[in-house]
Amino acid sequence: MRRLFSLPVTGPAIATLIVALIVSLTTDRFLTHGNLNNLALQVSIVALIAIGSTAVIIVGGIDLSPGSAIALMTMLLAMMLKFWGVGFWPAIVLTLLAGAVIGLINGAITAYLRIPAFITTLAGLSAYRGLAFTFNNGSPVFEASNRLEPLFYGKLLGVPLPLIYIVVFFAAAHWLMRHTRIGRSIYAVGGNANAARLSGIKVRRVQLYAFILAGLMAGVAAVLMAARLNSGSPNYGVGLELTAIAAAVIGGASLAGGRGDMIATLFGALTVTIVQNGLNLNAVQTSTQNIVLGAIIVIAVGIDMWRGELGRVLVSVASSMPRVAREDREGRKAQ
Amino acid sequence: MDAADDIAWQLKDITKTFGPVAANDKVSLELRRRQIHGLVGENGSGKSTLIKTLSGAHQPDSGTILNGNAPVVLHNTLAARSLGIATVFQEFSLVPEMTVAENVFLGRWPGNASNIDWRSMRQAAGRVLADLELDIPPDAVVGELPVAQQQLVEIAKAMAANASVIVLDEPTTALGIAEIAHLHDLLRRARSRGAAILYISHRLDEVVDLCEVVTVMRNGRVVSVAGQTPLDVNAIISLMIGRDVEEQYPKVHGGGGEPLLDVRGISTERGLRDVTFTLHRGEVLGLGGTLGSGRSAVARALFGVEPIVAGEVYVRGEAVALHTPWQAIGAGIALLTENRNIDGLFFNFTGAQNISVASLGDFDHGLWLDLRRERQVSGDLIRRLQVDRIAESELVDHLSGGNQQKILVARWLNTRADVFILDEPTKGIDVGTKVAIYRLINELTAAGKGVILISSDDKELLAMSDRVAIVRRGRIVRIAEARDVSKADLLTGPEERRQSA
Repeated sequence: MRRLFSLPVTGPAIATLIVALIVSLTTDRFLTHGNLNNLALQVSIVALIAIGSTAVIIVGGIDLSPGSAIALMTMLLAMMLKFWGVGFWPAIVLTLLAGAVIGLINGAITAYLRIPAFITTLAGLSAYRGLAFTFNNGSPVFEASNRLEPLFYGKLLGVPLPLIYIVVFFAAAHWLMRHTRIGRSIYAVGGNANAARLSGIKVRRVQLYAFILAGLMAGVAAVLMAARLNSGSPNYGVGLELTAIAAAVIGGASLAGGRGDMIATLFGALTVTIVQNGLNLNAVQTSTQNIVLGAIIVIAVGIDMWRGELGRVLVSVASSMPRVAREDREGRKAQ
Repeated sequence: MDAADDIAWQLKDITKTFGPVAANDKVSLELRRRQIHGLVGENGSGKSTLIKTLSGAHQPDSGTILNGNAPVVLHNTLAARSLGIATVFQEFSLVPEMTVAENVFLGRWPGNASNIDWRSMRQAAGRVLADLELDIPPDAVVGELPVAQQQLVEIAKAMAANASVIVLDEPTTALGIAEIAHLHDLLRRARSRGAAILYISHRLDEVVDLCEVVTVMRNGRVVSVAGQTPLDVNAIISLMIGRDVEEQYPKVHGGGGEPLLDVRGISTERGLRDVTFTLHRGEVLGLGGTLGSGRSAVARALFGVEPIVAGEVYVRGEAVALHTPWQAIGAGIALLTENRNIDGLFFNFTGAQNISVASLGDFDHGLWLDLRRERQVSGDLIRRLQVDRIAESELVDHLSGGNQQKILVARWLNTRADVFILDEPTKGIDVGTKVAIYRLINELTAAGKGVILISSDDKELLAMSDRVAIVRRGRIVRIAEARDVSKADLLTGPEERRQSA
């Protein structure tokens, strides 16, 4: 039982349940088949991007660029399919490859030119969307291909495809992070880059891998986004990077690096999406939604940071010894 | 001498528990004016908790703190400081970007809120430094000073505050012999000016040399009070661990094996000049010299951290390229780094994962890591080195310093290294663990490995090495059998470096 509570997914899973409970109390339209289906479609894109965000956060960086990168890649995909005469599957593969290349660029600049990830990907946030506007005179490309939509709206054995993507990609990401040498190295570099280097880990290469994974996942998300709307647009994906980072952080990933969990991130993505869904169902304005998202991120990180203190405050209240609350954080670590 | 007004501070029956553990169990301590009081004990004996209580960082569960005869409550560190308790922790409380003068008067800058009186601050700082016979310019930026001088600035800061008691927690771990002597001078001067000094150190010969009275703690209790504790290293050790120590340095002499590591004329951009030596199988080669002499630079160069610009290195007779740590590891070299918090431990990993991290290749099957075998192998090492068993599944920050150090040793034992470079392997760990580390060194040499030992503890260096190479200003000036080297030979004063600067 104690082990269950110390698992990294437990907190985020409980958060998801609580949020779902609250939303289902505010509106009876939440727990309908149609809405849950819609929720699955909504969560898929954010969740897949968040895989990359989580890997980059664990390695000790941050990726602000996927929203813009997705806009660029939906444009690329739509242009290839509609105007450039590229075959359907080759176009999909090339889009994913473009994602990997974008990740490679972000990662190479960060790891090898030693520009902080925040700056590199902030530049990417600006540049990739700018690049997206250079195609088709900056106009969206509609009706890209009639083969595109089934990738998003299709079903396999009655299960919506986005759900299958989620299961497959998160299983793979979890395996990568927890059961492979690369994953372990990502945790090591994020935990202590100095020590990682002195333990024989090729720190920069590991950082590069994390960014490539993030780019690749942005590519996957771009294909789904284009398929969902059967189009490409330089205006797609605005703010998605923040939602994805929020998912990772609500899932317990530490921006200091070294800590985070893929399955917990999935629950983080679910939490964010359910909140948005609940606000939509209650006809709350987008501006208010953004404020709520901001508040949730701060609360999630706060609960994580102050878990120790909160515990002791509760203990001290219970035993009516309020002075315990004043102790500094060192208390837990001292002998 | 027993005059009550000689007592500056008293701790009475201080008890502090963390969960089920009583870190301090009815601990009492008297700090007298004009007295240097040693506080010793193994890791986990409760010294740190006690100091934190005295410095206001912890609130005791019960017991009282008396300032002279008046009971006080120290709500936080600020309150403690304003009552004249100056604490110098292992981690400095200096602001590296500020000047010495700004740091000395940190938080008490002269002048009013909107306008700091820089000139009088500089002058006052200059007086404090001159008073302490410290040759440090008040305008120097602290971060640019050598660590040893930063330590002295830290103490100047405490003394400038007119502290009635100065608490020092392991102040000499970063210092060389000459700096330690200087620090001790400084403390004696502070004493003669009426301060009470509480001195915590693992280096018992220092404690015996410096302190007039010594309090020994074990398992959260005082086992020998000041005035009764004999000022004798072996007696204190017995009190600390609760039984007699067989031997402080259980050295098994080795050497004479075939050459293992051949270093021929290596130089680095920063400091090393034409360093040549040979390490044999079964041998411990000690690197002696003061802080900054280039001892650690040798380690960094051989481990691929600092680029070698000239010379060659041969391992088992083969020339090796050492541009990166992974190349060094591949060549069979292991480096136990000096600072385990910064360069060693992964605090997001369990003990077991901390062990396997340098040998992940052994568990790698391409698509997956063999996690079961990782647990097995790490678990075996944890048991063999007698590390707390929680290390198998818990994060390393739950472990004591000694256990953490053993985890790092285990990490390198698990690589196929032949050359072990140990940089301050017993820094900040207790006597019992120290002996365990020494025994491991013996095991390594018995197995035909070679060990390069770097230590600021000159007794340890001379006792545990077969041969000693003395490093000065990036050069090896002498290599001799350890028994032919004296403590004085290891010492190069700061005067020498000052001239060269």
